[in-house]
Amino acid sequence: MAMTATATTARWSALRRSWPAMPMSLRIGAVILLIHFIIAATGPFWIPYGPSQIGTGPPLSGMSWAHPFGIDQLGRDVFSRVIYGAHIVIFLSLSGTFIGLVIGAIVGLFSGYVGGWTDDILQRFLEALISIPFLVLALIAIVAAGPAYSGNPILLVLVIALIYAPRIARMARAAALDIVMRDFVTVAKLRGESAWSVVRRELLPNATSVLLVEFALRAGYAPVLVGSLGFLGFGVRPPTPEWGLIMSENRSLITFAPITVLGPGLMLASLVVGLNLFTEGLSRILGRTVRLVDK
Amino acid sequence: MSVRPLVEVINLDFAYRQGEGWARVLHGVNFVIYRGEAFGLVGESGCGKSTVAYQLLAYRRDNSRIEAGRIIFREEDLKDLDRPALDRLRGNRISLVPQNPTTALSPGMRVGRQLIEVLQFHDSFKGREARRVEDLFQLVGLRSSTSIGDRYPHQLSGGQQQRVCIAMALACEPDLIVLDEPTTGLDVTTQEQIVELLKSLRARLGMSMLYVTHDLGVLAQIADRVGVMYAGRMVETATTGELFARPRHPYTRGLIASIPQIEKTNRSAGIALRGFLKRDQLPAGCPFQPRCDFAEPECASEVQVLETVDEGHAVACRRWRDITAVQMRSASTKADAAREIRPDHILSVEGIRLGYGSHRKWLRFSPPADVVQDLSFAIEEGETFALVGESGSGKSTVARAVSGLLAPKGGIIRFEGQVLPPLVADRSRELRRSIQYIFQNPDASLNPRARIGTILSRPVEMFFNPGRNAIVERIAEALDDVRLDASYAARFPDQLSGGERQRVAIARALVANSKLLLCDEILSGLDVSVQANVLFLLQRLRREHNLSMLFISHDLAVVRNLADRVGVLFRGRLMEVGDVEEIFKPPFHPYTYELLMAVPSIRRASRPRLQSRADKAATGKAGCAFAGRCQWQLGAICDQQSPPWREVSPRHGILCHIPLSELTTRVRDDLAHLSAQASPGNQKADPFNVGEQTHS
Repeated sequence: MAMTATATTARWSALRRSWPAMPMSLRIGAVILLIHFIIAATGPFWIPYGPSQIGTGPPLSGMSWAHPFGIDQLGRDVFSRVIYGAHIVIFLSLSGTFIGLVIGAIVGLFSGYVGGWTDDILQRFLEALISIPFLVLALIAIVAAGPAYSGNPILLVLVIALIYAPRIARMARAAALDIVMRDFVTVAKLRGESAWSVVRRELLPNATSVLLVEFALRAGYAPVLVGSLGFLGFGVRPPTPEWGLIMSENRSLITFAPITVLGPGLMLASLVVGLNLFTEGLSRILGRTVRLVDK
Repeated sequence: MSVRPLVEVINLDFAYRQGEGWARVLHGVNFVIYRGEAFGLVGESGCGKSTVAYQLLAYRRDNSRIEAGRIIFREEDLKDLDRPALDRLRGNRISLVPQNPTTALSPGMRVGRQLIEVLQFHDSFKGREARRVEDLFQLVGLRSSTSIGDRYPHQLSGGQQQRVCIAMALACEPDLIVLDEPTTGLDVTTQEQIVELLKSLRARLGMSMLYVTHDLGVLAQIADRVGVMYAGRMVETATTGELFARPRHPYTRGLIASIPQIEKTNRSAGIALRGFLKRDQLPAGCPFQPRCDFAEPECASEVQVLETVDEGHAVACRRWRDITAVQMRSASTKADAAREIRPDHILSVEGIRLGYGSHRKWLRFSPPADVVQDLSFAIEEGETFALVGESGSGKSTVARAVSGLLAPKGGIIRFEGQVLPPLVADRSRELRRSIQYIFQNPDASLNPRARIGTILSRPVEMFFNPGRNAIVERIAEALDDVRLDASYAARFPDQLSGGERQRVAIARALVANSKLLLCDEILSGLDVSVQANVLFLLQRLRREHNLSMLFISHDLAVVRNLADRVGVLFRGRLMEVGDVEEIFKPPFHPYTYELLMAVPSIRRASRPRLQSRADKAATGKAGCAFAGRCQWQLGAICDQQSPPWREVSPRHGILCHIPLSELTTRVRDDLAHLSAQASPGNQKADPFNVGEQTHS
């Protein structure tokens, strides 16, 4: 335990030391993300009103110190709703992307390693999935799941995974094709390792940098996807304070009290910008280390 | 005896000072050397053989003394001679060839000058010294005498240095040359050349020799008579033929059994030496008693004296009669074993055809040609078979086929007599374990994201699946085997140097307890110094683990130092196969010769560029693969008919239309032509001493 604590401390101090040398985009992105995560983690405990509490003030009253994002048609405080919704949006985006990453990485690495007909068939299938615009694919999946599951957050997570998995799989396969050419994979093959074992022991550790960047990139767009689906009414069920849904609910007020739409929009935008900046910086760092390792 | 011997050693007792007292190292040693005779002294280190040799040079120091006995040289007792008399004798009438030529030659003096110094000291060949030096170089096979004489010792290979030492010993036409392990520091092939040289010198000059060595195999080639020493006693003397045919002393039998042989399996059938000489635990009687298979309680107390058992054959063993009976039988079975063709090949490749590109054939305009055609060879257990050839000759493809990465299009591969499934996926775990592949580039063959410990533990886990602790132990053992510290297990490959990484790759093959290693150019990615290290490591591991190897390399020097047999591959066909000593001697296949001449160390400035023909395509499928590129091509026959397999010896064959005798002459002519052209100083005496330097 003491060892772990020291290791963690060491890692923190190493991080502190290297912080100024990191890319600017990574630093800005990290700060934005940190703010979002703090809001998501603590928001529910300090918001002035409940997320679904009605009668918090005169409806449609616009921006004020008491109600920074105004009050919607039902008299709910939009600011409280947006802050409360942060953890929902972040959870949906990240878990959906993560599941997509796991599935995509396994399929992609496996396909790249096995090659031959299996690879051909898998790739055509994945290309077919990718060729469908993702929003259309999401709607098809949600409709296909049936009304019983509509608004179910788990369905939403799976839909995000479904959209991302094929795209991540293609990246993973490209990485695998490169790694498979190296002799240590041949050594494993000669040893008689199963395909799964080779993927897990030899390919995955060497594809981590590619996959990490891929994860961050996809995660950066996931909130938009969640929001879009919410806006279209295929996301979580009202009155869940998901940002896309809030914007959808208040879209009729956009000329009257624009802040009720712009507020959640700004939050969504800043999260996406933060994620993208972070990804950009991360891929630069990883790109460098990858080059260092490979010579 | 009518003729008086040149040297008589009579009941010599000799001791070194040890603390307060004297420790006797020679006990009543007796032998004689006649004029023109080569007498060999053999025994394990510490048996006193070098002490005897140096006493023939009357080498005295304060810490040693002759306690009894006489050493008579030309009817004078060396003991009675004073310093000036000895100075006249040493280097003049009796001379020494030392064990290590590197330290024997003065590093700061040109070797020609060193020879002249010897002559001047003894007032020998007065006024003709320079001429004599030239003759001497000629005599010892250092051909371009002028340039050799101008060199410093470090500019010569170990073999050449030893030749200089021999020339120095011969300078004053001595009566006796004392050779103290003259070939021990040299690699096998150089050793053979030196032994050949000594043999021919003795035939031509007729001097006597005392040849001291631990290697009975060398004496078999050069000595007329042999004395076997053990713990300061002469235990057996006999003519060489007699000694090998009918060794009487158990110790001699053990020594003979220890001689490495090509037919390796019978090397030590039951009579090899066991244990080692423990000087402080010698019994009062026969010193060999503790290690002797024939020992009886009486042996320990009864002092054994040399007893003549036959004409010119004496042995110091009271049980020699019993031993003789056993010996006769085992000698004959051994002869039988050598004759029979043994099927115990660990790997045999029979007429395989290899090629790439069966997959997606429709994408190509024409089907690709086979990389390897009708290739056959076999590797015996414990043997290292080297495949050499230029890049693209199909060497690695063969290794891939053996490993199961590439299924042959035809032919079969057997492992330990069983047909190997063509693809690794169909092979049993046992087979996968037994055949291990080591790749050229350790950067690529080690997972950069795995710790060394993980890399090494996986094969252990897969093939043996012992407990966690056993795995850790096995890894430490394997790392120790390749001379890496156990702490390396925690490191990542990029924290290691190139040589260390290759050691890890070797360790990975070792942890599987493999029987056959496929080494694919495993040294070529490394620095020369690191290369030598890993080469040495391989030599050791091969012995310790009784590994067989298919060693693929383009580096003839490495091959010469490591391989037992060599196959020369050109465009997927074996051009020449033979034991390593034979491959590096004429006759050569024209392609082998081309490869040898391409080795940088022996390339001459005036060498016509053979590479100019290298781009020429081989002419046709019907003829010789090498036709069109061959500098000695006979004509149309080479293009149109496949060449015959000509056997130089049962273990050496060449695939060529040119008869063997002509191949030999062509090489000789070519070399003569070249040396005529070459400017002096640009040439080495021994054109095929590839790899000699690596060892010296």
